[in-house]
Amino acid sequence: MNYGIVLRVLGSILKLEAVLMMPSLCIASYTDQADKIPFLITIILTAALGFFLSFINRKCDRHIGIKEGLVIVSLCWVLASIFGALPLYLSKSTPTYIDAFFEIVSGFTTTGATIIPNVEVLPMGILFWRSFTHWIGGMGILVFTLILLPALGIGGYQIYKFETTGPVAGKIAPKMKDTAKILYGLYLGITILQVILLRVGGMTLFESLVYTFGTVGTGGFATKNASVGAYNSTYIHLVIATFMMLSGVSFSLYYSLVRRKFKEFFGDEELKLYFFILAGAVVAIGINLFFTSYNSLGLAFRDSYFQVSSIMTTTGYTTADFDKWPTFSKAILLLLMVIGGCAGSTAGGMKVIRILVTLKMIKREVLKIFHPRAMSPVRVNTKPLQNETVAGIFSFTSLYLMIFALSTIIVSLQGIDFESAISSVAATLSNIGPGFGFVGPTTTFSSFSPVLKLYLSFLMLIGRLELFTVFALLAPKNWRKEV
Amino acid sequence: MKVMVIGAGKLGYKLAESMVLEDIDVTVIDINQKKLDYVNEHLDVLTVMANGLDIGILKELGISSYDMLVATTDSDETNTLICSLTKKLGCKTTIARIRNPEYMQQLDFIKHEMGIDYIINPDLATAQAIERYLLKNYNFYSGEFASGKVEMIDFNIEDMKEFVGKKLMDLDYFKGMLVTAISRNGEIIIPNGSTELLPNDTIFVIGKTTDINRLNDRITEKDIIKKDIERVMILGGSNIGYYLAQKLVKANISVTLVEKDKERCQELTQTLNDVLIIHGDGTDVHLLDEEGISSMDAFVGVTGFDEENLLMALVAKQSGVPRAVAKISRQNYSRIIDRLGIDAALNPIYITASEILKVIRGGKIVSVSLLLGGDAEVTEIIVGKDSPIVGKSLEELNLPNGIIVGVVVHDEEVIIPNGKTRIYADDRVIVFCLSENLPTLKMFFGSQKGGFLNELWNRTKGIR
Repeated sequence: MNYGIVLRVLGSILKLEAVLMMPSLCIASYTDQADKIPFLITIILTAALGFFLSFINRKCDRHIGIKEGLVIVSLCWVLASIFGALPLYLSKSTPTYIDAFFEIVSGFTTTGATIIPNVEVLPMGILFWRSFTHWIGGMGILVFTLILLPALGIGGYQIYKFETTGPVAGKIAPKMKDTAKILYGLYLGITILQVILLRVGGMTLFESLVYTFGTVGTGGFATKNASVGAYNSTYIHLVIATFMMLSGVSFSLYYSLVRRKFKEFFGDEELKLYFFILAGAVVAIGINLFFTSYNSLGLAFRDSYFQVSSIMTTTGYTTADFDKWPTFSKAILLLLMVIGGCAGSTAGGMKVIRILVTLKMIKREVLKIFHPRAMSPVRVNTKPLQNETVAGIFSFTSLYLMIFALSTIIVSLQGIDFESAISSVAATLSNIGPGFGFVGPTTTFSSFSPVLKLYLSFLMLIGRLELFTVFALLAPKNWRKEV
Repeated sequence: MKVMVIGAGKLGYKLAESMVLEDIDVTVIDINQKKLDYVNEHLDVLTVMANGLDIGILKELGISSYDMLVATTDSDETNTLICSLTKKLGCKTTIARIRNPEYMQQLDFIKHEMGIDYIINPDLATAQAIERYLLKNYNFYSGEFASGKVEMIDFNIEDMKEFVGKKLMDLDYFKGMLVTAISRNGEIIIPNGSTELLPNDTIFVIGKTTDINRLNDRITEKDIIKKDIERVMILGGSNIGYYLAQKLVKANISVTLVEKDKERCQELTQTLNDVLIIHGDGTDVHLLDEEGISSMDAFVGVTGFDEENLLMALVAKQSGVPRAVAKISRQNYSRIIDRLGIDAALNPIYITASEILKVIRGGKIVSVSLLLGGDAEVTEIIVGKDSPIVGKSLEELNLPNGIIVGVVVHDEEVIIPNGKTRIYADDRVIVFCLSENLPTLKMFFGSQKGGFLNELWNRTKGIR
């Protein structure tokens, strides 16, 4: 393995992280709260190590193969979290370092699960940094770095492949760097649009930034304990719900929209299934709510729409305490947690495309019962999928479910009820945030034991990097020097 | 610049690889997903699985926004059709690979009628390269620059005691010439005066044609045999064999061509008049002996199999043939060929890629040759007025190690430059460049738009 380039890229990531903390430092200095010095210390530390790593490896071989890509991606996320957690700990926003680490992993992986019971007392710099990690982590820390790192060439693709969500990493421009530029350009565009719309709705600039980061990154950190529910404005609810929904769509697909390829956009099968599931869930939950607890059909649908968008895109904002909703609604929400958004979006979960392929495989098997000799490849958007891709999707699905089951057992050691155990695993593995019961919308993860907090952080990371990236890294074969 | 390559075979891959190094946006199209996966894993290009003849797909990819299209599929007819279609769809320049000799007679007609800008025939180009090598009377493979005024040769010093163990600055052989590179065990070394030569180094020397000729004579004096080529044996009646035989016969050389396939032999007899065509297995040593291999002046292996060409060239060398040439299409062998002891290994893919690169780089580039398995190249450039190097001395330019200005041709005068040499507009400059330094080369010699923002966004400065 080429350790030189791995360390060098990691160095660049740290330098980048130091730069990305600057806005938070500015806010901290401006408001002159307790987080000013912690940010300063962290930036100096991070930048120093970053420069050191880049400097000692400045003459390394530039080649990035599959293995290097794998190691870079996994280590980058861990390293960024380790340093990103420092300001939280140093400013005493969290009682222990593990809490801070959990909080920032939750940020970078766009989970939005918090261990801070009262976020309203946090310094503004910290609040901003927490949410900003959503924005960076949503599209990928490394994809961002790709724009800045010169001449990584094909190495860029190896990194992109492991960091982006979904079973197949497609480029949209010949050069990896241009692909990254386009993706971030679209991302930035949507972000700016939402900030403007939220400002119009009467939020302060600071709040609209924080909520926008949480929305387009599909994260879920808020400035208020009651999340979006603190704003009693249907307009704000609808804006955030809609942007959550939009952020659950593949960003490459938006590129076809920009290029006026409307057919490509609206004809996309994954997108159709995504909206179908979303609409179905909104209607089902809306009606269920109306007949059980809500008096107004409008309000029932507003909350249903917001919550379904929030959970399906794995954001985790709340406007109502859905833990108190009827079991029918909660069951649907749990299912949405597992499904997640579209591939190539900032959302987590198993991704709609995998569900789509699985459904098509089932359909094919049924067909094969009647026509045993039928040749029918699984097609998505009229193109037949490679057998390897289909097999990959299947092993992903099985691994996901296995980890899900195993983790539920591990988490249940905390001594919580079954519903809470299942939903806390779903909430972290699918990068959502809040679950039910013990980890419901009105409570936090703070009462988990430190070991379980670390375990849940691990779940968030493998969830964000889609299991195999991290698992391949854990295989000892990777670390042997030869090959 | 945007280029579309259709067909991800050996040539398509090599082209894409060379273009990526030049910062060109490349899209590769093929119908074989496995090949595309390979390309995707190794090159920073966009791959699309589609039939290159599918107009819908081409339009969807925005073919009219492409500056160039190169069709390198297996079929000449498909290539022609693709080029013709895309030209009509608005692609600025189209290049087709056409191999069938029967089309060669009507190339101009095809080009004109179908609207194709360039037609490249790898087999013909290779045959020409072999012919040049054989007729040149050199012991080494060479390249010509500045319309023949400058030449570059590479040769293996084997264990000649005049060279081995000596430092470059102590050798009077290279007076007025420049040793641009040494290939040692498949690795490239950029030498300086104190670099010591080791046995089996291959050295690349560039200089005035007259000087190179003198060097050639001085070295070949040491060799036992030195005579003109009169008898040549060609192994393999492929297109290359056909073109080569045709050319050699014109130069009054007696040619023996061995081909395995009977029908192909019959075809060849129809068109090749004064060539002795032998139907038989070219790997059969007895057959070759009967046909008098030991009395040949040169042996050329151009069958479809690299291994066969290579091994039979070695067999010929052992039977006492002074010059053995083999056609090697696979890139992967290039690292070991230097050590095998055959005189020249020609790769049609490089030859073709060099030709196409010349077209891509446009007007000011006169010639390009890929060397050392494509790890380096020699480019002849006419310096433009707005190039950032005009009026500067080489010292001031501070070129990276991998870029060597071999020769400057100023007002018809050939100058082997030193640090004080200045470069002016309209000079011809022959540059040796490692492929990793290509973007830098482009920066120095091109007339790119500058500006801080442009630099920041594209990070051209960062590539050193």
